[in-house]
Amino acid sequence: MNRDSAPTLRLHLALILLSASLIAFQLEQMQLLALVQWHHFAYLVISVALLGFGASGTIISLYRSLLLRHQEWLLPVLMFACATLMVLAIPLSREMTSRFDICLLFVEPGQTGLLLLSQCIYLLVFFLGALPLGLVFVSFSSRINTLYCANLVGSGIGGLGAVSLMYFFLPQQLPALTALLPWAAGFLVIPVRRRKALLAGGVLVLAVITAVAWRPPQIEVSQYKDISRTLDLPGAETVSNNPSPYGMVQLVTAPALRHAPGLSLTYGGEVPGVKAAVFINGNWFGAVSGGDPSFLRATAADLPYAMAQRDRVLVLQAGTGRDILHALENGAERIVAVDPHQEAVEVLADFYGAGDADPIHHPQVHYSSLAPRNWLAFDQERYDLITLPTVGSFGGASGLFALQEQYLLTREAFIELWQHLSPNGVLQVSTWLDSPSRNPLRLGATIGESLEKMGVDPHSHVAAVRGWNMITFILKRSPLTSGDLRKVRSFCERLQFDPTLLPGLQEKERVRYHTPADPGFFADINTLFLPASRRELYTSYDFNLRPVSDNRPFFSQFLRWKSIPHLVRLFGERSLPFFELGYLIVLVSFVQMSLAAVLLILLPLVRLGLPGRTGLKSWSFPFFSGLGLGYMFFEIMLIHELVLFFGHPIFAVAAGISSLLVFSGIGSLVSGRLLGHRSGHGLAAALVSLLLLLYFFILPPLLHQAITLPTIWKTLFFLLLIGPPAMAMGMPFPLGLERLARHSKSQAAWAWGINGCVSVVSTGLATIVAVELGFSAVMLIACAAYGLAALSTLKS
Amino acid sequence: MAFKKLATGQNRNPGRLICWGGKPRLLFFALLICVAFSGSLSEAWDDDEKRFYKKRQQMVDSQIKKRGVSDLKVLRAMAAVKRHLFVPEHLQQQAYVDGPLPIGYGQTISQPYIVAYMTEILRVQPQHKVLEVGTGSGYQAAVLAKMSDRVHSIEIIPELAKSAARRLEVLGYTGVKTRQGDGYHGWPEAAPFDAIMVTAAAEFIPPPLLGQLKEGGRMIIPVGSPFYVQHLMLVEKRGGEITTRSLMPVRFVPFRRAQ
Repeated sequence: MNRDSAPTLRLHLALILLSASLIAFQLEQMQLLALVQWHHFAYLVISVALLGFGASGTIISLYRSLLLRHQEWLLPVLMFACATLMVLAIPLSREMTSRFDICLLFVEPGQTGLLLLSQCIYLLVFFLGALPLGLVFVSFSSRINTLYCANLVGSGIGGLGAVSLMYFFLPQQLPALTALLPWAAGFLVIPVRRRKALLAGGVLVLAVITAVAWRPPQIEVSQYKDISRTLDLPGAETVSNNPSPYGMVQLVTAPALRHAPGLSLTYGGEVPGVKAAVFINGNWFGAVSGGDPSFLRATAADLPYAMAQRDRVLVLQAGTGRDILHALENGAERIVAVDPHQEAVEVLADFYGAGDADPIHHPQVHYSSLAPRNWLAFDQERYDLITLPTVGSFGGASGLFALQEQYLLTREAFIELWQHLSPNGVLQVSTWLDSPSRNPLRLGATIGESLEKMGVDPHSHVAAVRGWNMITFILKRSPLTSGDLRKVRSFCERLQFDPTLLPGLQEKERVRYHTPADPGFFADINTLFLPASRRELYTSYDFNLRPVSDNRPFFSQFLRWKSIPHLVRLFGERSLPFFELGYLIVLVSFVQMSLAAVLLILLPLVRLGLPGRTGLKSWSFPFFSGLGLGYMFFEIMLIHELVLFFGHPIFAVAAGISSLLVFSGIGSLVSGRLLGHRSGHGLAAALVSLLLLLYFFILPPLLHQAITLPTIWKTLFFLLLIGPPAMAMGMPFPLGLERLARHSKSQAAWAWGINGCVSVVSTGLATIVAVELGFSAVMLIACAAYGLAALSTLKS
Repeated sequence: MAFKKLATGQNRNPGRLICWGGKPRLLFFALLICVAFSGSLSEAWDDDEKRFYKKRQQMVDSQIKKRGVSDLKVLRAMAAVKRHLFVPEHLQQQAYVDGPLPIGYGQTISQPYIVAYMTEILRVQPQHKVLEVGTGSGYQAAVLAKMSDRVHSIEIIPELAKSAARRLEVLGYTGVKTRQGDGYHGWPEAAPFDAIMVTAAAEFIPPPLLGQLKEGGRMIIPVGSPFYVQHLMLVEKRGGEITTRSLMPVRFVPFRRAQ
């Protein structure tokens, strides 16, 4: 390949294939890690990929002439190496991943190192893939437009392709398919010289890919995941594995498994064993009931039916249909069941025989596969009963899900739910009791604040009953009548539950059967319904009890930094991490990735001379770090908005990343023509900052308005909406880089490195800011970062 | 699971040595080496035992007594049961740390203090019949066996049930009857029980277990994740009524504080 000649069609094709593989591999890794561990690694994968890209940029800066001299044969070799490592990443990291476990991170020394080591292999994949991309850009800088375009088109195809393939292949099968792309790319760029040796190498790589595809590596799911613990039961076996972009849906039969949450201690009958259990990415999704479901009448969830007949019932996040069965058992006429996990429902339909009573496909049941909030947005029906899934998890392991966005438990969700109740309808939501008390109190706070916002006095509309491990709240649209109160008391007496919230309740009634650990529990729950004193509880409690909102939808995140010393004294260092394991894992990986970014991207650049010595312009540091931070913060914020908009994280990630890349690519292509003058880079950054400020106000409401559209229209609307800011975001970086490159190549290398390093750090940082301050703060910081970048150019 | 073989420092089958090699001189030297080697092994073993003994005493003093467990029988039991023989080999040195440890199959051996506290709450008397649901490594059963000779323990995971039964037998805990089976059904043949400990907590308390609890009996259930017990649920049966009391595993301090 001659550097002076124009890049060939084959080279463009190779770039498309390579770029597609790198994005696809990212999404596949997110899916795989969510299966074997938990979902926390999504942001870690993005950080690792950015780190690989950043490190490759540094290497190109350092060894530019050497690499360009040998690039003819280096390109296919790097692509083959990327393909090989892509396909071998799972087997090579197996030893580390099989020993690593999130749950042991704070128990066994060395687990942090295992986490880091396992990521090194994936880092190498992205490094080896990014290196040829960078080399081609540098080598054919005069034709950067078409090459950059090929890169972005490939990335877009990769995102969509990976999501499509997830419907048909298991997570461990996908890397072999994806590895065919860089392999084919390498094949396309084999030069005439050394053809034989490179062809032989290519054939060898193909043989490795074929061997792994033929026998995909075994993956080991954490022994602490729900599915592993179920499969440990005697006679348990996996009946079916069904891949899908929503996660791996697995059906397990376990004769010894029984499921009866909220069961009264007075129940003396048989609790039937479940016929099967469904797991998504190894997490409990629901059980398929077997035998007589009459035991459901002895659970706290029976309270709404004990108060009145419920003809129209809405079951949100219906899972495997336990609440549907309960409604049918109580004679409901029409049941609307909503659950976004279509795949799981199809697996269940296959499992149920023709003669079996499949609750989801019962004639009285209308099923919708939308996400609950999407359903609520356009549904006009009113219901006598709306049920939500149980909040938290038994035993308090919900700390693992501290970073899970739970849009059904926000203030906005409760207000929407209230609007869907018939005049005498009730909303029922239960939560596991925990110690120290967090979930019941935050749920109480959410209910109290939501009702007050609508001008409803919670005292006359809310009742709650408590068993030994669960509390069930009932929100009635009309005030509770004396008849209602009588029925609640009678229900409690019959099943030995204690009324916890009820108009006219005596203190001694609250602890008739079950005494909580915290004597202040009742006082706290009373306070949550008193607007005047509620704020004092929020500030004085050791955990964050404030209701969550769509802006900050992390219901299971309770940790307050200032309480940590007190909690450590009380519970010890070994126990504290298990309160908020999910959040702490993000912190650990954030620190790891930040250190790695400095070590692998910035430190090697010192060989070119320190920034001061290279004469790096004073505006460069704030400018390029501002762009890195602003871009990643906006991307993370966008993914968050899209989770609610599209209803599922994987679609949100695919749509968010792909659309931003493609539009930014177009932006950078036209940037030279539009803003090619001396201060163009500053103007471009200022334009982005202004656009982000505008979108801060208009993006959430516009997306909310369009949430009810059919998917195709929704997608088109989103693309039209995101196009302008995303295009503008592609402009400042190439303009700024071009400006620096005119002066010195080493200055450009430093700028590239600073941007890469800040991008890696920002991925984790954006998550932490979102948890602490909300996504609107993430957006504002993105806007400010671009503003700072623009201001920094004023002096120059 | 790679639990350390329960070496005793003695050769279990000395007869085999006599046939080994068939050459008397060689055999003599071999025996000499073996004796010397077993001697040094035995010394090392004694050192280990002394070290673990010391750690155990420290555990009782600093982790258990200090947090308020005062029942002498419980303290004696905790000081007597060799916890390091109930944990995987690679974690033996951590056996006496103040926390739970993984034992495989998603299960843990509880924090020493939690074991002691639950045992104290049960108020086990020598004549009491005790049921444990969830044998795990067998450690809790061994502690209970120091309090009563009538301990029954069920474990549902076959591999754990087998290894725990063998371990308890080898260590001489003959008062513990073990069984592999579904804890949901309890142990009807041995019922009723004065005390039941459900170490493998479920989302609901199986009705048969409540049925097998004696009038006036106590049941204790640790509720939490494998590595953190957030509270202990004490279930009591009195006059046909079942009541529960949630107990904090730590000294209670209000979580609402003056600013």
